[in-house]
Amino acid sequence: MIRPLVRLLLLVAAIVLLPLLVRPVVAAEIWIFSIAAMALNLIFGYTGMLSFGQATFFGLAAYTSGLMMIHWHAPLLAVLAAGTLVGVVAAAAIGYVCIQRVGTYFIMLTFGFNQMFYFIAYKWTSVTGGDDGLPGIPRPPFAIGPLAVRLDSSLRYYVFVAAIFLLTFYAMKRIVDSPLGVIFQSIRENPGRAAAVGYDVKRYKWLAFTIAGGFTGLAGVLYSMMFGIVPLEAISWIISGDIVFMVLIGGIGNLYGPLLGAAAFKWLSEAVSVVWERWPLILGVALVLVVLFLRGGLVEALTRLREAFGGMPPRREPREGAPVGVTAETEATS
Amino acid sequence: MNVSLFAGAILNGLVTGMLYALMGVGLSLILGLLNIPNFAHGVLYAIGAYVMVSTVKTFGFLAGVLAALVAVAVLGAGIEAFGVRRLSRVHPDYILLLTFGLSLILTEAIILVWGPVGITSQPPSLLAGGVDLGVTVYPKYRLAVMIVTAALVAACYLFVTRTRYGAIIRAGIEDKDMAAALGINIRRVFTLTFATGAGLAAFGGALMAPVRGLQPTMGLDILPFAFVVVVLGGLGSLPGAILAGLLVGVVQSLMTAIWPPGADASVFALMTLGIIARPQGLLGHR
Amino acid sequence: MSADVLLRTDRLTCDFGAVRAVNAVSLSVVAGTLHSLIGPNGSGKTTLFNLVAGEVRPSGGRVYFDGDDVTGMPSHRLPHRGLARCFQRTNVFPKLTVHDNIWVAAFSRRRPGALGFLRRASEFSDVEADVERILGEVGLAHKRAAPAETLSHGQQRALEVGVTLASSPRLLLLDEPTQGLAPEATQQMTRLVQRLVGRYTILLIEHKMRIVMSISDRISVMAFGELIAEGTPDEVRDNRDVQRAYLGGRR
Repeated sequence: MIRPLVRLLLLVAAIVLLPLLVRPVVAAEIWIFSIAAMALNLIFGYTGMLSFGQATFFGLAAYTSGLMMIHWHAPLLAVLAAGTLVGVVAAAAIGYVCIQRVGTYFIMLTFGFNQMFYFIAYKWTSVTGGDDGLPGIPRPPFAIGPLAVRLDSSLRYYVFVAAIFLLTFYAMKRIVDSPLGVIFQSIRENPGRAAAVGYDVKRYKWLAFTIAGGFTGLAGVLYSMMFGIVPLEAISWIISGDIVFMVLIGGIGNLYGPLLGAAAFKWLSEAVSVVWERWPLILGVALVLVVLFLRGGLVEALTRLREAFGGMPPRREPREGAPVGVTAETEATS
Repeated sequence: MNVSLFAGAILNGLVTGMLYALMGVGLSLILGLLNIPNFAHGVLYAIGAYVMVSTVKTFGFLAGVLAALVAVAVLGAGIEAFGVRRLSRVHPDYILLLTFGLSLILTEAIILVWGPVGITSQPPSLLAGGVDLGVTVYPKYRLAVMIVTAALVAACYLFVTRTRYGAIIRAGIEDKDMAAALGINIRRVFTLTFATGAGLAAFGGALMAPVRGLQPTMGLDILPFAFVVVVLGGLGSLPGAILAGLLVGVVQSLMTAIWPPGADASVFALMTLGIIARPQGLLGHR
Repeated sequence: MSADVLLRTDRLTCDFGAVRAVNAVSLSVVAGTLHSLIGPNGSGKTTLFNLVAGEVRPSGGRVYFDGDDVTGMPSHRLPHRGLARCFQRTNVFPKLTVHDNIWVAAFSRRRPGALGFLRRASEFSDVEADVERILGEVGLAHKRAAPAETLSHGQQRALEVGVTLASSPRLLLLDEPTQGLAPEATQQMTRLVQRLVGRYTILLIEHKMRIVMSISDRISVMAFGELIAEGTPDEVRDNRDVQRAYLGGRR
């Protein structure tokens, strides 16, 4: 595959060029959801747990930070920290219950909890604004010591979001390159054997889920400041499904997959929803097609293109994160 | 809260509960055999309601309900044969995602065909009006729905536990490879089971249309409750789904009477408590 | 109890509903020896392994490892006490490379602390050294970058043993390491097991009698969930009960 340094440069180039290709608002949303998608990739692609309730942490963090900024005029770094903390704590609590079960049961539990918080947010209009959302969220300036930079314009906010994204990407890379990366994957591959060689599987699953919750919460905070409002949708299973879709379409188990997925998803939704109100139909069709025919997602598609044009089979690097598309290989060997 | 209101809430709870039980049974069958939560189960319920409403105008109520049942059962068979089966050797998560994608597609299809605005439906004139039960007056139609749904749920249970074909289904749930090795046409069982689950959902949708009205999102709205029923009842347990369905229906209805804002959230709180207290569900196996 | 008994079971019993898969089995494995467990199919050997390794809870009886009562201990705690098992049906991490398969097993004994997890996995040179050593030991060094699922059956059995060795155990529970192997691969595996004797204590389930008789220090024979005989290879070979168990006829 492409050398790691080249990939990094491509990423930086993408960050720089994106606001030239799409509106800065859309571009910022791509990086915000990339963070959430990377988080889901950690628990789904690497650890093998499909969570259909990530919007719980996204929304809880968004509401919390929104309220902090509205009522207490909390500074920027404080809300970022608070949102991440909310994500971590919520994921720790919910995760503890959910990881007691596996597979289908686990998925339905994450979904169920998501619904619970959705309904609470829906009905608790005095706090969340219910269906109308939570408006009036300011965008505090980025301030460290004497230095204060206002983030009012879309472009400035984009730069800020992109910077946060790069930091989270680096953090995620470190996690995946650390022993945790291999341990998580071993749990995905064979939880029974992972236990038999000495790992407390539940504890590591819980750890993965909690870490992902923190990242997702951070994304939620950035989202709340995006439009100055937290819509009810932010905590609904629509967002949960969107994040799943992003990870799937991008290519699971690969560090860059979620980024491709978030970009493709946001770009597509922008392009299509302007023209046709029935955008979810396209989304559904795309999802079905990917699931049936291209389970490795865009990463797999790109790999196949490179093979077709380059003529070279992809080199396998021993410690390079995870395989391209978890089930592309299953098909080949079954 | 006076007695009449209380009785009404309980009865409403039983009506909703029987619907939830019906959804739970269909979902349980599919879950047991295919090992995935069918995210399209809600939209199949919705399509049942819409098909009935369209058919009723020309052919009457009974035909409407039957049309809903058959049409969606066929749709379910198609989904299984052309979608789910292709993914049978791949990780079950992908089947889940397939059903999720289908739920999006079909919900949008409903909007395209029937429009985005909600519709109401009337019960058949034979069952219009109320019945005086002494403690309260209750709509005839709802009582009828409760009875019919209960009968159907009981019939399903008996079919699965007492008949030979039911035994085949249970065998397939236990160990599909072994069942296939014993000469059972497991593919056909899968297709028929999915079709049956879909048909049950549609039947519920058709019957409940006059009670709840129709809107395009009704499928997505009911899905989480169906999940709660199955999780609470215990995965793979039909009697569990029935019991949980009734429990959820009654709790939700009572909460709607006592404290409406908390009605929906209370269902999930119930699920959480249930999982913590009894991880295998009410009647599930460890 | 003699000081050098590493593993001892005391009337270990396992019921699956009405079926008694293991019935009051008491055996002792002396440290540094190779102790074989044989018996007809369905005699409960793998179930006994499962009981010892914490995969299944016993219905009765106790398991002692190095003097400590480890009965019913969850399977993930046992490698840290020095007990590791391999599985009859290859049970590795299919999409991880051979290297990573062994790496993850080798790492499990390390306690790097929270800060340790901030390091890249590749920076743990001591773990890398262990991995290389084991790869060499099981003969898979040339396949280190290959995903486990692409290995031949024989190579997968070797990997299976390699993963078991990686957690630096004192006691190895080897469940039919030569299962399904062709003659030459069987010989290689047998030689591998022989190289392990002395350095490790081994409890071996095996069906191939020639191997069992030639490399075992002691043999226990199971039939219908019970221990019917125990002794040196010669003693077991001449035992009438054993002959009857293998050649048929109910007790």
